[in-house]
Amino acid sequence: MSESLRQMWDYLQSDEAWSGRNGLPALTWAHIQISVAAMLIAALVAIPPAVALGHVRRGALAAVSVVNIGRAIPSFAIMALLLPFSLRYGFGLGFWPTVVALVLLAIPPIFTNTYTGVRDVPADAVEAARGMGMSGGETVRRVEVPVAVPLILTGLRVSAVQVVATATLGALVAYRNLGTPIVTGFTSPDKGPMLAGALAVALLALVTDALFVLASRLLVPWRAPAGRTADATVTAEEAAAVAVATG
Amino acid sequence: MSRGAAPLLAVDEPLVRWDWVRDHTDDFVDLFWEHVSLTVAAVGIGFAISMVLALVAVRWRWTYEPLAGFCGVLYAIPSLALFGVLITIPAFGLGFRSALVALVSYTLLILLRNIVAGLDGVAPEVREAADGMGHEPWRRVLRVDLPLATPAIVAGLRIATVTTVGLVTVTALIGEGGFGDLINDGLSRDFPTPIVVGAVLSVALAVAFDVLFVVVERLLTPWARAGGPRRGDRGAADALADARARTAHDQKWIAVGRASAGAGTGVLQ
Amino acid sequence: MRRHVRVGAALLALSLLGAACGDDDDSDAESGGEAETGTASAPAEIPDGPAISIGAQDFGESAILAEIYEGALGDAGYEVGVQELGGFRDLLFGAFESGEVNLAPDYVASQLEFLNEQAGEATGDVDETFELLQPRLAERDLVGLTPSEAVDTNAFVVTQETSDDLGITSLSDLAENGQDLTLGGPQDCESNAFCIPGLRDVYGLDMSDNFEPLDAGLVATSLGEGAIDVGLLFSTDGRIASEGWVLLEDDQNMLAADNVFPVLTQELVDTYGDDLTGLLDDISAELTTEDLIELNRRFDVDREDAEDIAGDWLSEHGFGD
Repeated sequence: MSESLRQMWDYLQSDEAWSGRNGLPALTWAHIQISVAAMLIAALVAIPPAVALGHVRRGALAAVSVVNIGRAIPSFAIMALLLPFSLRYGFGLGFWPTVVALVLLAIPPIFTNTYTGVRDVPADAVEAARGMGMSGGETVRRVEVPVAVPLILTGLRVSAVQVVATATLGALVAYRNLGTPIVTGFTSPDKGPMLAGALAVALLALVTDALFVLASRLLVPWRAPAGRTADATVTAEEAAAVAVATG
Repeated sequence: MSRGAAPLLAVDEPLVRWDWVRDHTDDFVDLFWEHVSLTVAAVGIGFAISMVLALVAVRWRWTYEPLAGFCGVLYAIPSLALFGVLITIPAFGLGFRSALVALVSYTLLILLRNIVAGLDGVAPEVREAADGMGHEPWRRVLRVDLPLATPAIVAGLRIATVTTVGLVTVTALIGEGGFGDLINDGLSRDFPTPIVVGAVLSVALAVAFDVLFVVVERLLTPWARAGGPRRGDRGAADALADARARTAHDQKWIAVGRASAGAGTGVLQ
Repeated sequence: MRRHVRVGAALLALSLLGAACGDDDDSDAESGGEAETGTASAPAEIPDGPAISIGAQDFGESAILAEIYEGALGDAGYEVGVQELGGFRDLLFGAFESGEVNLAPDYVASQLEFLNEQAGEATGDVDETFELLQPRLAERDLVGLTPSEAVDTNAFVVTQETSDDLGITSLSDLAENGQDLTLGGPQDCESNAFCIPGLRDVYGLDMSDNFEPLDAGLVATSLGEGAIDVGLLFSTDGRIASEGWVLLEDDQNMLAADNVFPVLTQELVDTYGDDLTGLLDDISAELTTEDLIELNRRFDVDREDAEDIAGDWLSEHGFGD
């Protein structure tokens, strides 16, 4: 182990670690690019339907199922499966198989948290809005979504960390990122680049998490009801309703 | 996009070559056992460790945040990176031990949070009744709180197991892998069939475990099925039964809600 | 109450059982990797000695050749298994050193250039090159046996379209007109004397910035689909001909005599002597370049397993039962 650490130290002090296509900056940038792309697409795809369903308070079954199914599918398999098709249909190596798999991975937490967040807006708040003459759409925009922000952010946060972590697998389908030195390092005598890459991506994941915590502190200045910012803790009654729906 | 003249590389390569599947069913069985044993070992060991940590966290409250934080950091480390670090440790190297250590780490956060949530969720009346009946604190925890926390614990085991099944596929890259071996083989040979088979089988295994846990949950919590609080004569025993039922309901769904929408969602790969 | 303790104990027991079952040896041998005791031949002749572990590098042809050795040796009564290396020559020599592997098929010129750190000693003459290789092997307590006439060199391949568009039919043309093209090949291209360093030293062409490392099986498809411009394939890859691709001519003789040959430890030679080396020599004598092309075709196109392909070759050439 100390030998490997020394290799990492040597590597980090070398020029090649910091320049060119295989240098840490380039790899990190590629990693960030694909993660952001996947998150944007996933958010665009998942948030609107989740808000809509939450607003009409339907689709609890969908929300829970999406999460359960999403948990069971290994992203590794999806990326691997997409590669031959991506090649044959002209989408090339690397970017597309990786980003599609990452989007699929990112959707469940965003969807479920957004849905739960909108649906759990206290009934009195919604009634008050109605009472003031707001239309459905206005209620959504001015009451439900703002109140749901803490949970939406939680969903985005969970997704983002997972996406950053899983993007490393993109190295296996020729998307050059921080996962690339890790994978090549598995069977190479020089573990320097591998440990450097591992360290970098672990830091990146932690930083991503921290950024979202910061964002939620900034965007949610008021103290939300206890237990609602950290987790999507569903109240017992509503959860029982979910239980009935899902058996 | 330039294409060759002959159909060798054309989209003719079928998604699944069934003759290949038929020829290799023996291998699938071997891989199944490999996958299952790695999953069970990881979740079992993770459960043992988490249980200890949870009991500590409940007894000495201030330890919870640091413990959960540490487990959270482990959870956030991308699996590939963790594998990379572990294989450089001479005692581990490529193979089973590195895979196991990494897999166990990923179960800790989920299980710790769920067990603690379960224990916390025990209704105060129940605790008081139990204390009133003369249980010492530790015995009360073991004989009253834990059983009542069962729904939350089982929910946590369910999530941890399904997550682990997915992560085991990635261990193929460091020489283990179960069904991940198939995926890896297909990937490096540009051969879709084993990828499809590997993916389908690992999803099937995850679903099978999920169903298994739903069944276990039902078996272990008969009072939850009894249908909730009863009205009528409210003697101590009834109060206890009511509280149990209410706790069970709260337990189960608080944990599911918390875990499914929180950090337990999706597969961290 | 007790029920939960029992469940907990059962879970723990199950997990320990899982841990015990899962902890296999590190040798990731394929299903045909167990020791094969000969069915008809007399194992009594085989002296006591170490089990033979054959190293297979991470591409089809290496796996097939390893299986051929294994099949023949197993049938002759030796205790033998195949060890997949998950990589290339650097791992192979690491495995020789650590004792994980004591026999492997390899290629004369490439191995020489690996051991002499790309000094450029290899030539197109296999005997000459082999002579230079032997002392280097001896330094490592290894022995190379007589090379086969079967040859597999690196092949730089472009599509007909690329060749026509840029007027490229040789590596010199590539150096002149192809600096911006992407090269795709196995990861060890960056350090393989007959890949990027060779192009640089002999042709003055540095493709390291435009290099895309790919798994061996992906290179052909990537080339065909235009994801890369130049593919590093093997000269025994039948798809070059069947796809109508253009194998760029090595007009300045960068490539050298890459004949297939077995390399094994001195220990194996000392323990098992002529019986072992004679058998391996027989295999080498029977192996031709046409054979390699056909063996690869069955692997890459028909998707047959290395073991089966090897088994057929052995029976067709009179080895084994």
